[in-house]
Amino acid sequence: MPAATVGQTPSLTTFLKSLKTSSVESSIELLASLLKRRQIKNSRQCALATAQLLRRVVGAERIKDPQKLIDRIRDVGRRLVAAQPREMAVGNIVRRVLGVVREVVEEQLGDDGSGSSGPSTPTSPTSRAPKRPMISHTFSSFTPLSHGAAMPYDMHPRPGTPGSSSPSGVDRLADATAAARRPGLATSASYASIAPTNASLLSFLEHPLGRSPGATPPATSSPRMTPVQSSMELNKEKIDIKAEVIDGIKDLLDELEVVDSQIAESALDHIHSNETILTHTSSQTVQKFLATAARKRKFTVIHAEAYPNDHEATHATILNGGKKSTGDDDEVDDRWKPLTALGITVIMIPDTAVFALMSRINKVILAPHTVLANGSLLAAAGASTIALAAQAHRVPVVVLSGVYKLSPVYPFDTQELIEYGDPGKVVPFEEGEFMDKVDVVNPVYDWVDAELVSLYVTNLGGCAPSFLYRIVADHYRMEDVDLGAKSG
Amino acid sequence: MAPKSKKGANAQKSKGGEEEREEPLQAVVFADAFETTFAPFTLERPRCLLPLANTPLIEYTFDFLASAGVEETILYCGNHIEQVEEYFKRSKWTRDTAPFSLEIIRSNARSVGDAMRDLDQKQLITGDFICVYGDVVANVPMEAAIAAHRTRREKDKKSIMTMVLREAGDFHRTKSQNIRPAFVIDPASERCVHYEQVRPRQTPRLDIAEEVLKDHVEVEVREDLIDCGIDICTPEVLAQYTDNFDWQAPRRGFLYGVLKDFETMQLSVHTHITSEGYAARVKNLQAYDAVTRDVISRWAYPLCPDVNMLSDQTYQLQKGNVYKEDGVVLARSSVVNRKSMLGKATSVGGGTVITESVIGRRCVIGKRVKLSGAYIWDDARIGDDTVIERAIVANEAGVGKRCHIKPGALISYGVRVADGTSVMGSSRVTKSKRRRSSGPNEPVKATTDPKIVGEGGEGYELAVDEDEDETLESLVPGDIYNTADAAFSDDSISTLDSEDEEDSLDEDAKRRSSRSESFASINSDESGDTRRRAADFHHEATASIVDALQKNEDADTIQLELQALKLSSNAEDKQVRRTVAVSLMKRIAGLVESGTSPKDAVSKVVPPNKLLIQRCVGTDKEEYSEQVEFLLYMQTDLVHRQQGDKILLFACNVLAHDDLVEAEGFEQWWEDPRSSASEELQDVRRETKQLVDVLVGDDEDEDDEEDEDSE
Repeated sequence: MPAATVGQTPSLTTFLKSLKTSSVESSIELLASLLKRRQIKNSRQCALATAQLLRRVVGAERIKDPQKLIDRIRDVGRRLVAAQPREMAVGNIVRRVLGVVREVVEEQLGDDGSGSSGPSTPTSPTSRAPKRPMISHTFSSFTPLSHGAAMPYDMHPRPGTPGSSSPSGVDRLADATAAARRPGLATSASYASIAPTNASLLSFLEHPLGRSPGATPPATSSPRMTPVQSSMELNKEKIDIKAEVIDGIKDLLDELEVVDSQIAESALDHIHSNETILTHTSSQTVQKFLATAARKRKFTVIHAEAYPNDHEATHATILNGGKKSTGDDDEVDDRWKPLTALGITVIMIPDTAVFALMSRINKVILAPHTVLANGSLLAAAGASTIALAAQAHRVPVVVLSGVYKLSPVYPFDTQELIEYGDPGKVVPFEEGEFMDKVDVVNPVYDWVDAELVSLYVTNLGGCAPSFLYRIVADHYRMEDVDLGAKSG
Repeated sequence: MAPKSKKGANAQKSKGGEEEREEPLQAVVFADAFETTFAPFTLERPRCLLPLANTPLIEYTFDFLASAGVEETILYCGNHIEQVEEYFKRSKWTRDTAPFSLEIIRSNARSVGDAMRDLDQKQLITGDFICVYGDVVANVPMEAAIAAHRTRREKDKKSIMTMVLREAGDFHRTKSQNIRPAFVIDPASERCVHYEQVRPRQTPRLDIAEEVLKDHVEVEVREDLIDCGIDICTPEVLAQYTDNFDWQAPRRGFLYGVLKDFETMQLSVHTHITSEGYAARVKNLQAYDAVTRDVISRWAYPLCPDVNMLSDQTYQLQKGNVYKEDGVVLARSSVVNRKSMLGKATSVGGGTVITESVIGRRCVIGKRVKLSGAYIWDDARIGDDTVIERAIVANEAGVGKRCHIKPGALISYGVRVADGTSVMGSSRVTKSKRRRSSGPNEPVKATTDPKIVGEGGEGYELAVDEDEDETLESLVPGDIYNTADAAFSDDSISTLDSEDEEDSLDEDAKRRSSRSESFASINSDESGDTRRRAADFHHEATASIVDALQKNEDADTIQLELQALKLSSNAEDKQVRRTVAVSLMKRIAGLVESGTSPKDAVSKVVPPNKLLIQRCVGTDKEEYSEQVEFLLYMQTDLVHRQQGDKILLFACNVLAHDDLVEAEGFEQWWEDPRSSASEELQDVRRETKQLVDVLVGDDEDEDDEEDEDSE
């Protein structure tokens, strides 16, 4: 439809298009307004847009002082998060990028200061695990003051610096040790090319966790990263922070692209022949997961339709794989094959029938909107019912989530996290008299407690909900957890 | 070392980039709705800046345009333009990062039609554009509508407009209960074939033309649609407005005209009926109430308060659709019930109960106050033990202790209601007078009426204006304002804005623009008809005289033609006078615009046509009222003309010179309050002051003296 491009409704596609031409500031404003208007929604789109935008932001910045860059990214992040606090993927990506920057900076300092602990020699994850401070511990003591003092160039503790209070000194110490022990930048920035550790529900129990499953495998396993590292080894001069950070963001983007396939790789560990699987919503991650399993095994899928916010997409997914004609994402085509084309029986049920059918179901597979630090999750409305029904029948609930959905936010108030959508989807707008007199609410998300979830399958492999805090700690820096903490 | 995938992404993007647009999508926004339904608030603030759920109305409109992918916006602004400009100077829409470029046009257009004609002249519109009012709250998806419009346009150049309409049931709180639009649509082509405004359950029949029924196999008559004035227009629409200069309103003027002339012009108007999204116009107080409730109960999602449209807002949604901004101080014993909204730094005293109310920023609510359905704007103060029901208390207003504000009352800016006063539901209390000759910056303070606001209060009741022919749908439906016979129309353009129009002497125009156009309202059928004929006379005659003047036809011929027209349309002398004055001035202004100096232009046009003027002012030498009227017509016409003041001066000079108007006539004209009613009128006659002084002071030597003045 060539004529329709003029006056196109803004969306992720138009945003990415405009990103190339418009100025950084207006791109930020544009994304913020798109998020506000919900023209970019769902975790994946948000994450993609944020990462692309930050790449643009970093690219446009003239970096003299890395602290400035960090402040800049934080500032952009704050604005985006303020625009749509419930799309946590935005904040997650901002924190990841901040992590990348800090990594680069620390690496540089490591080079300058103690040449011995080079960036290319990642310390073993096991050894650093116990040393990592608990999030909750530093959260409270973290102040803008100490942060500002600790960050720039003097990472190494200088005891007796005038005016430094003791907590900030401790923080510095922690920072410095973390800096020295942190593995190379590229490794923790992205898992794009790393095979997930095979931890299925079964194998999970077989291998008692001596080490964090979220811990990063050694960098050398990543072929792509070798040139970077070798070049770094060659010229131990100043690293080009900008290029490094942009590389890091590119890796993040790659990760977003392959995250579904990575999750799907462990499908065969979870789905067995002749099982009956219950799923919910039109999530492409779940579809891919099931499709991968369907190549080898035959099973039955019962699909709850997620009325009223997602049922149309769900129907489309069941019928034709949910491919939209516009092609919002740049996805490969075979992705859009419906499960039925692979010989799987798919039965669509209304959400209310979930409990009735639960006794016949072997496994529930859910796709979350966001996973929170304590292992609880937000997912499309109806997920809570399913999880509770599953618990009543002792059916395992497996949640498929990319690491980018994992948020360091702790759900102190679950009410606040839930977004309320358009009541017109529940009661049609045409029912004028009815809507005048009745309050209609349409929650978009449900909150599901951690104890209702049996296993998370991320692109790093499976892990228990109680263990998510480790992955959070591996991916986000404590100083970045609260983006709003430091006033710009 | 760019990874492979990046290239892939780039390729994707550039592929998308190829099918890029040629021309930007434009939008025209009318900040004024050219009406007075929001009086008394609009006496002091522009309508588009009135807060709806604590966010100015225009923000909703602009947000809608931005979400539709508009790239250029033209804002037409008449009243309180300083405030509008000031507002936009500070808003995000004028920054570099704004999603579209914004151009604010100061205009003295008195209707959408005028603005459209002006737009056509200015040549600002390059392609298709969206036309909306500055009070639309909508999130209907426009992409499909625009695409449909474009495909239709590709096929048929004659399809000039698409109206975006939202399906709604028979009853809907945002719909006007008095008059509703009825669309007759051909469902196959979505073409609108007939349009009328009907009164629900009162209009016995629609007046559908015979050809319409013959031409279309199937028609749908729909009265359930919400028409919030979102039109996708082609530049052809502007041309049509220019061609038909009596069209004022987009529905009753333009749409009706286009449909009526379908046989000759073959222009067609289509509809796009959507069943998703939200669309409403805040066109009167009842709609204000309804839309606020819709926004708060999230029917307009995602346009909800917690989106925080303005960058400094921090609303958060709490249980039961309660929205609170940061820094709200609630006493422990106060209760905030559902569907309420509290702005920043508002404090609420103990024992107060707030239900379904919207409270702005920095308000101080006393103890044991009961607010139910109240709209309290920023900085208002409410004393202890006061009860406010469905009423509006505007910025900085103060309501004393133990007051009772009854449903439907409007308390305007800065009004003080003394302790223990009860304000009736029908009251519209304000401090500023309706008529201000001193300009918008210093509204005239009216004398306080203690009967309304109590001893020690400030404010008086704004009387319902007799000239206001339209019903004010008050906040509370079924209120006393809804006098059944008033020709309130859904297309609120009908009344010219009170400020501009109030004492415009141009009664003819007033009548025409007000009721005559509501052809649909049955009760005014007859009078409407004659009035329309009068209006027709004026336009036809003006056109023919201007035409004749251009051709330099001699005065006798013109007079003859005029006489014929007058007789055929049964016009009054007054109308003829007006026509002559207007057409002469039009011709002069035309010459001036083409480069002739005002003096030459006047001398070229007036003396040869002395006869015309003589005929219409000279019938009664003793009475000067006709001369005064003629001068007034000239003056008002020149208000909007280039170098109007100069033209007026020279024209008066010539008139005096040729004894067409006596000195007494000038004197009376000068003293007539109508000639100094508005600032514009004063501006235009300022230059002539000396001339008049001379004429009045010295009857004899007028000629020589004023020649000096004019230099």
